[in-house]
Amino acid sequence: MPASLLSLVDLEVRRGMGRVLNGFNLEVASKDVVVLHGKNGAGKSTVIESCARLLPLEKGSVHHHGSLVVDSEGRRTLAKQPFGLTLQSNCILGDETVENHLTTVCSLSGMKTDLLPLLEAYGLAHRRHDRIGQLSGGQARKVAVLAGLLPAMLSSEPRLVLLDEPATGLDESALAALSSNIGQLRQAGHAFVIASHHPEMMKCATRLHNLESETRQEQPECQPWQAIGVKGKFTLLPTKTGHRYLRSTRAGLARNGLTALIVLGTLLAFIDPATLEKPLLVGFVLAAPFAAGLAGDPVVYLMREQRAGDWWRAHVNRLPAADFFAPILGFILSGLGSILFLDAFNWKLSLIGAAVLWVTLLCVRFIELSTLRLARPNAVFIRLLLPILILPWALVVEYAATL
Amino acid sequence: MRRRIPEMFLGIGFVGIMSTLFLGLNWAPSVSINAFESPAAQRIFYWHVPSAWAAFIAFGVLFTGSALWFFKRSPFGWRLHVAGTEAGLACGLMTVWSGCVWGAAEWGTPWDWTDVRLNTFGLLTLLALFLVLGRQSQPDGVETRDTFSTFGLYGFVLVPLTYVATRVWQIRHPGPVIGAGEDGGSLQSSMALVLFIGALSFTIFIIGHMMISMRITHLEQRLEHAQKILDGGN
Repeated sequence: MPASLLSLVDLEVRRGMGRVLNGFNLEVASKDVVVLHGKNGAGKSTVIESCARLLPLEKGSVHHHGSLVVDSEGRRTLAKQPFGLTLQSNCILGDETVENHLTTVCSLSGMKTDLLPLLEAYGLAHRRHDRIGQLSGGQARKVAVLAGLLPAMLSSEPRLVLLDEPATGLDESALAALSSNIGQLRQAGHAFVIASHHPEMMKCATRLHNLESETRQEQPECQPWQAIGVKGKFTLLPTKTGHRYLRSTRAGLARNGLTALIVLGTLLAFIDPATLEKPLLVGFVLAAPFAAGLAGDPVVYLMREQRAGDWWRAHVNRLPAADFFAPILGFILSGLGSILFLDAFNWKLSLIGAAVLWVTLLCVRFIELSTLRLARPNAVFIRLLLPILILPWALVVEYAATL
Repeated sequence: MRRRIPEMFLGIGFVGIMSTLFLGLNWAPSVSINAFESPAAQRIFYWHVPSAWAAFIAFGVLFTGSALWFFKRSPFGWRLHVAGTEAGLACGLMTVWSGCVWGAAEWGTPWDWTDVRLNTFGLLTLLALFLVLGRQSQPDGVETRDTFSTFGLYGFVLVPLTYVATRVWQIRHPGPVIGAGEDGGSLQSSMALVLFIGALSFTIFIIGHMMISMRITHLEQRLEHAQKILDGGN
């Protein structure tokens, strides 16, 4: 019997106040293509997202390659083997280039490859250096689908691929390429769980499952896919990705940097530094990095686009973060503030400012990430909780004034 | 008769609170003129201290409800959470507002960002406001309940911190009045009596408020369930 790549055991999942899955079981082995085709609201996407450990379980557990990845007790561990994932949203930042995004997907699998032949097969070769935001809806969907298939395409070991409505928006040639790739990858031992009503996807199935019962269908033999990945070494991927996001969007400067500069400018507009005492001036110097931190983590803000954060959450335990951006910006802002308010660059204050911005940003990031699971995360009043940071900041200012 | 118990609590509590106000403003003796910058303003304490006491009860209910929902998925726990946040917000705002009025008169400033007691209590009130506004902005569901009960659990860390704040870091806020131990005997008996009536009245009032709030949440849940059935869902 082929090894199990995915097993869902007695799954119970609630969304809203409804119980979408109840006692759901599914075993997916190597060379299986399971197409979920229930009616709208039956729970197809819920199955895919549960497999990708994106949803908390009321009951049951999910296992990849025999190892637990999520269960109802709150255990949530990283899948030992990389897996492919395409959600209903494309999960790609509009400012990412096609090549950068797909290279990142390869890196998550610990592999590298020449992407050009794949991009040619999907009619995207001429768009490889373009930003996703510049592509049409169908082209962006092709990139998202390709990103889902890549972990299997790279590897000679069996991989699990989860695709949610992959055929939506694809043209005929892309659809033909996708069907052909699914057949070849299946032949090479990879397994698929696909949520779709599309007739072309249903034709690819070895098992048609309507979430209550399933029927099996034979697939013709075809040439198996030859793995195209070469092992690579990738370190600090979330950090590098976070910084790349910030470089390409300049969101850090636009959100945090400008907020701080406005605070500095406003203070200077109303205050004559020569007439004030040192503790107050130190407070003004450290107000800019504090305000920049309160503006929140720009990477978290970016990852709200197209559910990019969810895609990352499925693959890694630590979301992309611009770890070095905060202390560097804090250092610069405090240095600038000390020149403006204290008439000289003060490196001690600059270091304290770097720490203030970094810690403030981490706290705001923690609160923002805690609300991501909500149906409308942008509608909650996160800023109401931020005054918790004022007291520690005031204590730091008091200490800094004694230096 | 049992269905009217919350309304009875509200009524008795309201009468008690009004009596506390009357006694505090007209009957209780004035404090020493030497010890306070603004002795007349001190009378607002007969409102401030009992409302803070009631707020702590509400925050305790909020924590219990959050824990019951988070660990047991208890619908009763969620109703407690909702009732605790609403009552906590109401009492928290009353406490903060009355404290600011007294602070402005006594210290010359309504707020001090370096005082731990002021800040932790203010934050508890802001947390209650965050939970009330947040719950109204989201559709009811396990995602909403899980997230907000988690914040309820985090937030409860502030309750013991607020309680011990004036014992450990007394900066501006006066020391404890309720549960002060051996040092708390400086109150005259008539002052203590008015404070006791106030604390009891606020407690009865807040219990009645929470019972009514839980009843409303329960009715909302039943209505939503009936709508789901009409929609053909499960």
